[in-house]
Amino acid sequence: MSQRINPELKKELLKFGAKDWNDCYHCGNCTATCQLTEREILFPRKAIRQAQMGLTESLASNADPWLCYYCGDCSDTCPRDANPGEIMMTLRRYLTSVYDWTGFSGMLYKSAKAHIVVMLVLFLSVVAAFLIFGGPMITELTSDGGVRLNTFAPAEIIAGIDHIVLLTLSFFLLTNMINMYYKVVLKDKTVHIPWYLYFTEIGEALLNFGTQLRFSKCNKSRMYWFGHWFLMIGYVTMFVLIIFFLSWFQTDNINVWYHPQRLIGYIITAGFLFGTIFFMIGRIRKKKQIFKHSHHSDWIFVVLLFLVAFSGILIHIFRINGLPFATYYTYVAHLAFEIPMVVTFVAFSKWSHLAYRPLAIYFSNMKKKTRELQLKSKLSVSY
Amino acid sequence: MEEIKIGVYVCWCGTNIAKMVDVDQVVDQIKFLPDVAVARNYKYMCSDPGQDMIIRDIKQHHLNRVVVAACSPRIHELTFRKALAKAGLNPMMFQMANIREQVAWVHTDREKATKKAVSLVHAAINRVKWHESLDKRTIEVNPATLVIGGGVAGMSAALEIANAGKQVYLVEKSKKLGGYAAQLDLTFPHFYSARQLIKPMIRHVEDHKNIRIFKPMQINQIFGYMGNFQSTLQLANGDETKLKFGNIIVATGLQPFDPSEITSYNYGKLPDVVTSLEFEKMLAKGRIETCEGKEPKNVAIIHCVGSRNANYHEYCSRTCCMTALKFANQIRSALPESNIFDLYADMRSFGKGCEELYTQTSRKNVIFLRFDQQNGLPEIRSTNGEEAVSMLIEFTEQFSKEQVEVPADLVILMVAMESHADAKDISHIAGISMCGNSFFIEKHPKLDPVATTSDGVFIVGTCQAPKDIPDSISQAKAAAARVLATIHVGTIEVDVITATVNEDICCGCQTCVSVCPYKAISFNKEKGVSEVNEILCKGCGTCGSTCPTGAIRSRHFTDQQILSQIQGLLSPDNKFEKM
Repeated sequence: MSQRINPELKKELLKFGAKDWNDCYHCGNCTATCQLTEREILFPRKAIRQAQMGLTESLASNADPWLCYYCGDCSDTCPRDANPGEIMMTLRRYLTSVYDWTGFSGMLYKSAKAHIVVMLVLFLSVVAAFLIFGGPMITELTSDGGVRLNTFAPAEIIAGIDHIVLLTLSFFLLTNMINMYYKVVLKDKTVHIPWYLYFTEIGEALLNFGTQLRFSKCNKSRMYWFGHWFLMIGYVTMFVLIIFFLSWFQTDNINVWYHPQRLIGYIITAGFLFGTIFFMIGRIRKKKQIFKHSHHSDWIFVVLLFLVAFSGILIHIFRINGLPFATYYTYVAHLAFEIPMVVTFVAFSKWSHLAYRPLAIYFSNMKKKTRELQLKSKLSVSY
Repeated sequence: MEEIKIGVYVCWCGTNIAKMVDVDQVVDQIKFLPDVAVARNYKYMCSDPGQDMIIRDIKQHHLNRVVVAACSPRIHELTFRKALAKAGLNPMMFQMANIREQVAWVHTDREKATKKAVSLVHAAINRVKWHESLDKRTIEVNPATLVIGGGVAGMSAALEIANAGKQVYLVEKSKKLGGYAAQLDLTFPHFYSARQLIKPMIRHVEDHKNIRIFKPMQINQIFGYMGNFQSTLQLANGDETKLKFGNIIVATGLQPFDPSEITSYNYGKLPDVVTSLEFEKMLAKGRIETCEGKEPKNVAIIHCVGSRNANYHEYCSRTCCMTALKFANQIRSALPESNIFDLYADMRSFGKGCEELYTQTSRKNVIFLRFDQQNGLPEIRSTNGEEAVSMLIEFTEQFSKEQVEVPADLVILMVAMESHADAKDISHIAGISMCGNSFFIEKHPKLDPVATTSDGVFIVGTCQAPKDIPDSISQAKAAAARVLATIHVGTIEVDVITATVNEDICCGCQTCVSVCPYKAISFNKEKGVSEVNEILCKGCGTCGSTCPTGAIRSRHFTDQQILSQIQGLLSPDNKFEKM
């Protein structure tokens, strides 16, 4: 069956951030330089070709862009300055919108204006919610001199709201992941994956999720790998804390500094601050390939994360030092930053790579193993 | 008859010859042969002391023949002939034995090699005894030039010669000057308008006092030889005019390949599949449109139509890639919202400014797709009005290995350049050889790409090979320079090695007339014998070996000379004596 060339694809892709990339004439230098390519998985060249040609279907079933961590070696050594690394980044944005059946993702990625408007609406909604439903602001301090935060914003209620947000976003993210599975695995008629591979290949995907070992293969970016990993660990820990242990974490008690509640909070915040400041400085200095081209989603994401972390630290300082109004206002700001970030990014934008990357490794490994098996059986027949 | 005195010189060529051939032995073996007056060996015969040795010996020993056993005569025959002339001897009284390329370099057994060298030298000695003094002759050159073909190459050559004050006769088959270049819209890579380039050129040619144009006119026959050609033209009014000219420049150009031969492209059946030349005309008219007069949304360009394919033409037509890129640019400017697909086999956008043209085009949202001619050509089929787009082109894209189909409302076939259908006639008329793909063959593909094996006949432009406008013009001006050089000298030296007919023996069978590759022999009906035009004759010897009565004698390759040479080669006296 031949695939119809879709000339509109390139125009569409340009809206996701990359410049025109017809400079690429397929010398294959990028693939040769890349530390992560394998015999069966040849990126970035393959995906670039599909994008250039307008092969919408092939591109949708190609998980390769997720295997790239953007070390930038390919762009550094590209003889035509076609910037393959940035093309892969653009393709990740595009694929996020392909997996997202709501169309919300495409809207956020293609228009900075739309993204900012959505966030502003959410920001104001959070502020308005506190104005209407917020508890009393009490100047009277607790016995150990802290602010009574849980009277203003009771942890159980906030946790409840968190759960609703979580459930909603999980629904969208999960359905998008299923959509990805459908497009990458089921629609690819060239491989039929045997059932047992689903079990044998899951380990490596999970290992990579926790350690991002593959990323560390991009030898130029040890520091970047650490920043990225630290931020990810901080984020996941925070996620678990606010979903399952918010009543324990958001306490009015002032614990000793080595108490796990405070220690964990410090580690999370350190991860956030280190990661976001590292990225922001990088994006301003534009020295490394990965930071040379910033899409609006990159900036919004990193700035919001920083604001969330920074306001979190301020809440903590204000609370233990007995500054009630500062604590309350910062708390409102903290949530007003966090909700838009979570809502727009987790299922529909940049954060979703948290799910798509391990899935891509999972699917790619299964496909690779299946192809190896197919080849083996072919060889045994010919012998 | 004077006594024959031969000087024999065996060269060591440093160690090149001496390593494998015992040069002392060779000299010892041949020095007692009859008529050998002097025999020596020396390290480098071609060096000044080596040549001086020959000159000294000629004077001292009154030598009248010289044999040098050394390298190939292609390298140093002329050197030694000049040495003979310096010593006052006719340069043809010389023979070379090649004991380097034919002996030392190709053998490993020193004994046998030396024996072979002795045989070759013996052969040369035997031959040189029969050599005759031959003297060079010169003929005068007619200063007028005939240019066949009024395209950009023919006009350039004509203008160059006419500007030097010499008469040019320009013969053009069609009614208009300008050739195919005049049919183009813009030219690559600078997008100059072809008409604006060609029109002033045509005007200059038409207004030039030294150029006489004959059009529409065809040349049917040319007689004569370099320096003195002549032809008779039939004018439209029934009159005849006789032209005399010294040189001929052939600029008969190309014809476009007919793509209806390639069935998968459906040219001729699908009205919106057009050739590059038809598209040029469309561009020149100022509107890109389908057969229904609509603006096409999807335009596809297919490269290598009839080129680089063993079924059609194996060669690359050299200009189509750049023309295709030019088209893409023109389509993009005319139809900014259109989709442009460029289906190529290899992108060969070489030459000054052309890689830049490719880069520039690739930034104009053109989708480049690569097909492989060996794995089947793209197939163009109609959608029969079932879709918004009128045609689909199906093929396997080579980089992705994906089977794809490209939507198209207009398909442009970049057709190959072919040698003109007239080429065969012209080759007979002007005495030019054609290669397998019907382009004219140049005298030497590297060292003399302008001249032909027929002296005084030059080939320029696309009749020689596919080329673009600047290359055609360069070649045309080079040919003009060559022509002007012969006119400036005014005379031409004629080679002495030619055939002669002994009219007493000639039986008039005319076999020689039919075999002569240079049309140098004609039949004299009055006398009933063949006559050799010694200016056209290249001394190839074909006639001499064909002549049943032995009436034709090839100078410097007489039967006597060749037979003596063979006798010397096979002489039982040739042996190697161990020291």
